[in-house]
Amino acid sequence: MEDAKILKEKYEPKQSLVVGPDFQVTAARFSPCGRFLIGAGFDAKLHRWRVPEAAPAEPAAAEAEKNPDKNAQQPTLEALAPIAGHNGWVTSLAFHPDRERLFSVDSWGRLACWKYADEAPQPLWQVEAAHAGFIRDVAVSPDGSKLASCGRDGFIRLWATADGAKQAELAGHNEDVHSVRFHPAEAALVSGDLKGAVIHWDLSTGKLARRFDAAELYALSRDQEVGGAKCLRFSPDGMTLAAAGTRPKNGGTVQGTPLLVLFDWKTGQVAKKLEFGATSDVYVFDLEFHPAGFLMVVTCGGPGNGKFLYQRIDDKEPFFVTTQMANCQSLSVHPDGRRIAVAATNRGSNGNGRPLDKDGNYLGNTSPIHVFEMANA
Amino acid sequence: MTSHHSHLCTPWEHRLSRRQWLGTAAGATAGALGFGGLLSPAVGEEIAKSDKQVLFMWIDGGMSQLESWDPKPNTRFGGPFRAIPTSLPGVHFSELLPRTAKLAHKLSVIRSLHTQDNSHSAGVARIQRGDPKDRGVTYPFFGSAVAKLMGPGDSKLPPYVWVKPGSGGFIHQDAGFLGPKYGSLAFGDGQPPANFVRPDSIGDEEDELQHKLREAANKRYASRRRAENNEANAYVFDMARRLMDRRELFDTSQLDPKDVERYGSHLLGQHTLMGRRMLEAGVRFVKVNSYGWDTHGDNFDGHLSLMAKFDAAFSSLVEDLDERGMLDRVLVIAMSEFGRTPRINGAVGRDHWPEAWSLAMAGTGLKPGVVVGKTNAEGTFVEGDEHDIGHMFHTWFRALGVDPHKTEYDNGGQPLPIAHDDCHAVKELLA
Repeated sequence: MEDAKILKEKYEPKQSLVVGPDFQVTAARFSPCGRFLIGAGFDAKLHRWRVPEAAPAEPAAAEAEKNPDKNAQQPTLEALAPIAGHNGWVTSLAFHPDRERLFSVDSWGRLACWKYADEAPQPLWQVEAAHAGFIRDVAVSPDGSKLASCGRDGFIRLWATADGAKQAELAGHNEDVHSVRFHPAEAALVSGDLKGAVIHWDLSTGKLARRFDAAELYALSRDQEVGGAKCLRFSPDGMTLAAAGTRPKNGGTVQGTPLLVLFDWKTGQVAKKLEFGATSDVYVFDLEFHPAGFLMVVTCGGPGNGKFLYQRIDDKEPFFVTTQMANCQSLSVHPDGRRIAVAATNRGSNGNGRPLDKDGNYLGNTSPIHVFEMANA
Repeated sequence: MTSHHSHLCTPWEHRLSRRQWLGTAAGATAGALGFGGLLSPAVGEEIAKSDKQVLFMWIDGGMSQLESWDPKPNTRFGGPFRAIPTSLPGVHFSELLPRTAKLAHKLSVIRSLHTQDNSHSAGVARIQRGDPKDRGVTYPFFGSAVAKLMGPGDSKLPPYVWVKPGSGGFIHQDAGFLGPKYGSLAFGDGQPPANFVRPDSIGDEEDELQHKLREAANKRYASRRRAENNEANAYVFDMARRLMDRRELFDTSQLDPKDVERYGSHLLGQHTLMGRRMLEAGVRFVKVNSYGWDTHGDNFDGHLSLMAKFDAAFSSLVEDLDERGMLDRVLVIAMSEFGRTPRINGAVGRDHWPEAWSLAMAGTGLKPGVVVGKTNAEGTFVEGDEHDIGHMFHTWFRALGVDPHKTEYDNGGQPLPIAHDDCHAVKELLA
């Protein structure tokens, strides 16, 4: 394991550009081909940007921030026509590992497959009511043959990526299922629910294999159920499973400490618990395991609070952290391993007043997508 | 919850508890400005004969109108949820209200509320006092106003009770210039006052002797103090005695398990069920509180969880009152101090929004199956007439048979309107 200082020198991200859409997204992710960045919109659309093959030589956005010149063109990505066809919010998206296919789900229950590189993509197939309402997450198996979705109806459903045919329905959660993920090497799927129950499904039998307990990710605050396993991720070798969310303190304006519960995949035991900050930092919304052995994590706290950090599992503190972005929603690593996209929120997104523009129009919020470069990676 | 019949206390505790009650009332009285009356006693006597009652569900912190009564699906600020059809053709509620949607034909909804305060600290009291013109006095909460104007009715039970999570007690502050007698009697966590049940070791005879002793002591106490202090003391004590005769109201072991399931085993469900039983017992005004709705962060998961509880409790209440024929005399109101912002902040929350919000009602004096007022396509502002809380106070008083133009408080010679003088009832809501 490399020294933290060396890791920081090698992997410290420098912001290279900001994509500034005038809408909000639940997540933004690079395609496996690396040529697209796709955002899942609060406006029921999939938003696409073209990503240049190589990262800019200089971290131009950081430079621009230091020396603001209003007349200068800010670096950004070319926006392509968005993809319509969803309803409510597009809540999650996942890519086929090697074919140019995008799978997206929404809060009204629709699952759809798109050839995302087309000029005006139409659904290759779609399932109008894949779940009874809110679909929380979607994931693709490592071989690209299967798709798993989960939702508020408490079910996990498996679909063929080729044609959307339903292959199986897994029932074992009695709660809203927030997250789902395939194991990178085994015929196994994990799903996490509102109450922090994580289930390992044996895909060779279609049966529940075992349960992991991440109940610390949940609390009942008066009448409000708070928290949940918001995000599940495996380490690249499949030996560690991370369940992320918050250690809730209270509901209403949710307060809690961002929490990651790491399980040893073999034993099912909790290997480590990592907390990232104070109760105002609230949720870990997304994370990735870096092949060099550290975690890349984004948090979304009370309005204005957000962190993007790197931490080794055995360390007590992150070796890199930035709070320059408000309310980080997602994190995606480009296939080149050098670029990272963090979808955040505009500053000043909250308040009880009437935010109006000069023409008297009511203002919404936006999700600036910050693209970083790990220049020395 | 458990039955409090089984709670055993000592006679000493029992006596102490009564003194504590009296102490509370005396303290409250000492801080009061005086007692308000009514300018026209004849009008007052007529109103007091009414058998009308109120169940006031206070959703503290701010229910989102977009996740309840006024959904705007598939719009910029609409959020993730769907709208579902209701029993009223063409009217949709949020999908988070599936049971309530089936009762829309029994409800009266207003979507054009535009109120003046976007803070909790001032807004809660300002809304519940009806936000009248400032005349240098503290107006009563709606519950205290009804208690004053309509009295306890035939039940002789406390006219204004409050079922709430947390602590209980006698909340004299609600009464404002009316004086502490019209405060609310709060049952914290739905529990009766401490040491509520008379111990077996105190028989009827001893109890009566103690009562006479108390009356004698009160008389002596009153001779050296303002009469209203003694009146408040005696009033609170009498309430306690009457409640003791109705201890079954607190005995949850007698509840029909089907009712418990329908209302929900959560706080709001159980407290609303208790509210229904209080209405059945004849309490004039019952307030039921739910806390924790200030969803600046995680609004949608918050409402997903909380609205399910509200839907169960509210729909069960309306169903039960309807089934028992009680909607003819009970006014049901469900509301917060404001709505929530259309824009969604970075914490996936919504902030405070008094500009354009909604509330729902059912029951006596109202036209069932109406939706009054509208907001624009994105739900940001009211289109057409805006309605303030003063309009709602006029409407509610009318629905209860109290004419706000003929009824005035008499605050020690100062005539005061019972609702904002520049507002009026929303006629489209009235039967």
